[in-house]
Amino acid sequence: MAEPSLLPSRGRVGRRALLGANTARSLNWAGALLIVVVTLVALLAPVLAPHNPLQPMGIPFRQPGSNGYLLGSDTIGRDVLSRVLYGVRASWFAALAVVLIGLLFGGVIGLISGAAGGWVDNLLMRITDGFLSLPAPVLAIAVVAALGPGFVHTLIAVSIVWWPFYARIVRGEVRMLAARPHVEAAKLAGVGRFRLALRHLLPGALPAAVVTASLDIGNLILTLAGLSFLGLGQSAPAPELGADSARNLTYLLQYWWVPVMPGLAVMVLALIGNVAGDSVRNLIDGRQGAR
Amino acid sequence: MIALIGKRTAAMVVILIALAAVIFYLQKISPLDPVHAQLGGQASAGAVADRRHQLGLDKPVTAQFWQYLTNLVHGDLGTSFRTRRPVMTDLRAFLPATLELALSGLVMALVLALILAFGTTLKWRGSGIFRGVLLVGASTPTFLLGIAGILIFYQKLGWLPANGRSGISDAPAGPTGLLTVDGLFQGRLDVTVDAIKHLILPSLAIALGPAVSIGRVLRSSLVADRHSDYARTARSKGLGEFRLLRQHVLRNAVGAALSMTGLQVGLMFAGVLVVEQVFGWPGIGQYVAQSIPVADFPAIAGVTLMLGVAYIVINTAVDVLQAAADPRIKT
Repeated sequence: MAEPSLLPSRGRVGRRALLGANTARSLNWAGALLIVVVTLVALLAPVLAPHNPLQPMGIPFRQPGSNGYLLGSDTIGRDVLSRVLYGVRASWFAALAVVLIGLLFGGVIGLISGAAGGWVDNLLMRITDGFLSLPAPVLAIAVVAALGPGFVHTLIAVSIVWWPFYARIVRGEVRMLAARPHVEAAKLAGVGRFRLALRHLLPGALPAAVVTASLDIGNLILTLAGLSFLGLGQSAPAPELGADSARNLTYLLQYWWVPVMPGLAVMVLALIGNVAGDSVRNLIDGRQGAR
Repeated sequence: MIALIGKRTAAMVVILIALAAVIFYLQKISPLDPVHAQLGGQASAGAVADRRHQLGLDKPVTAQFWQYLTNLVHGDLGTSFRTRRPVMTDLRAFLPATLELALSGLVMALVLALILAFGTTLKWRGSGIFRGVLLVGASTPTFLLGIAGILIFYQKLGWLPANGRSGISDAPAGPTGLLTVDGLFQGRLDVTVDAIKHLILPSLAIALGPAVSIGRVLRSSLVADRHSDYARTARSKGLGEFRLLRQHVLRNAVGAALSMTGLQVGLMFAGVLVVEQVFGWPGIGQYVAQSIPVADFPAIAGVTLMLGVAYIVINTAVDVLQAAADPRIKT
C-alpha cells in the first residue's frame, strides 16, 4: 500500500527503530541463546537437583522455602525442586525430539514432494492433508492408547501427528525455489535430480522450516504436558511435570505448591520456548531480508 | 454454492473414512487382544475360537474393515473392556457435559479474540495489558490455568465453584442434557445461573490459548483491510473507526479467523479433556482418564472417533461458511 492513508497517525514507533537495530539484534541473540541455557539446565539436572527425585528425604508437605526445600516437599517427603528439574529435563528433550523428528521426516517428505512434482507430489500431499485434517492431540491419545502408555510411545504418537506441518512448509518453499533462476540454471547445467534437491533446493527451504520448528517448541511443551497430565507418559514414580501435577491435584487446597510447581515449570518452559522461537525467527528473517 | 457444498461434503466423507481406517489400523497393531479382554486369560481355546468367529476376526482384513465401517455407520463403536457396555451408550451419558463445556469455551474464546483484535487494532486503553495477560495465558498449560482459577476465584475470593457442573441436587434431567438450557426450559433459573457459574472457570482455562491464536489472525486481517480503498472511502464519508471495523472490515477480514477457529477446535478438545480432570467435570475427559490406565482401547477409540468426526464436520462447515461470507471463494 504505497497510497497515502487517511489513518490517524497515532504513530507507534517500531521496536527496532526505538532500540536501534544493533540492540534489537543482541536481544534476539539473547533470546535464541535461551535454548542453549535450558538445554544445559536439562542436561545438568542430576547435578543441579539438590536431592534424589525418587526418594523421600524428609517430612511430607514442607512449605516452599523451608530449610533446604526451595519448592517444598511433596506427599511422601520428596523434594519438589528435584522432581521439577528432572521433569524439565524430560519435557524439554521430548519437545526437542519431536521437533527434530518432525523436521527430518516432514522435511524429507516435503523435499521429495516439492522436487519431484507430478503424481508423487499429489499423492504425498493428499496423505499430508489427510493427517492435517485430523485433530492432532486427540489422535495422539489414540495412538498412545494403542501402543500402551509410556514415554517413548507418547513421543512416537506426537511425532506421527506432528510431521505433516513441516512437510507442507518445506514443500511450499521447495516449489517456490524450483521456479527461481538459480535452479533453472542448475538444471540447464545438467545437475542430476538428487543433487538438485540436496544442493539447490534444500538449503533454501531450511530457514522457513527452522523458523517454524523453533516457534513450535512452546506448543509442543504444552501439548506433551497435557498428554502427560492425562496419564499418557511415564509411569508413577518417574518425575514428569504434567503427571506430577495431575497426581497431586487432590492436595491442591491444602498444599498448593505440590501440584502448582510442576505446572509453573511447564509455563516457564513454554514461555522460554516462545520467546526463543520469536528470536530465532527475527534473526533468520532479518538475515534473509538483508540478502 | 451447491457445487461447493457437494465438493466439500465428498472430501469430508473421504477424510472420515481415512479416520476410521487409522483407528481400525491402531486397533490391529494394539497388543491387546479384544477376545482375551472380553473372555479373560483363562478362556479355553474353543471359547476363544468361537468368540473370534462371532466377532468376525477370522475373516480377511478388508472384510473386517468393511464390517467395522458398517458398524460405525450404525452407531456401533464396540464394547468397552472396562464397563462392558457399548461404547456408544457410555459416550451418550458423558457427552452433554462435555458439549456444554466445549461450546461455552468456544464462545469465550471468540469473545476474547474479538476484544483482543479490536482492542489492539484501535489501540484501546488497557489493550496492551489485556494482550500481555492473554499472551502469558497462552503459554500456560491448560491444567495450570484451571488450578490457578480454583486457587484464586474459589479458595481466595469464594466467587465461583470449583467442582463439577452443578451444585443443585435436584437439577432437571433433560430434554437436552445441557444444564444451562434445561434450566430455562424447566423454568428453573437457579439451575441455569448455577450452571453458568460452574462453567466460567473451566471455559476460561480452555479458551485462552485459542483466543490468542484466533485474535492474532483476526487482528492482522483487520489491520491489512483497514488500509484498503473501501475503508478509506468509508472513512472519508465520516464513519468512525469502530463502526468502520465492525460494519465493513470485519466481514472481509473474518475469513482467515474462521479457518483458524476451525483448526483451534482440535486443540480445544484436548483442553477439554484436561480441564475436566481439574474440575471433576463429569464428561468425556473422565471417561478417557479412567480408560487410559486399564488400556481400554475401544473406549478411547470411540472418543477419538467422536471428537475426530466433530472436528472434521466443523472444519467442513467452516469452509462452507467462509464461502458464504466471501462469495469470491469458489473452489
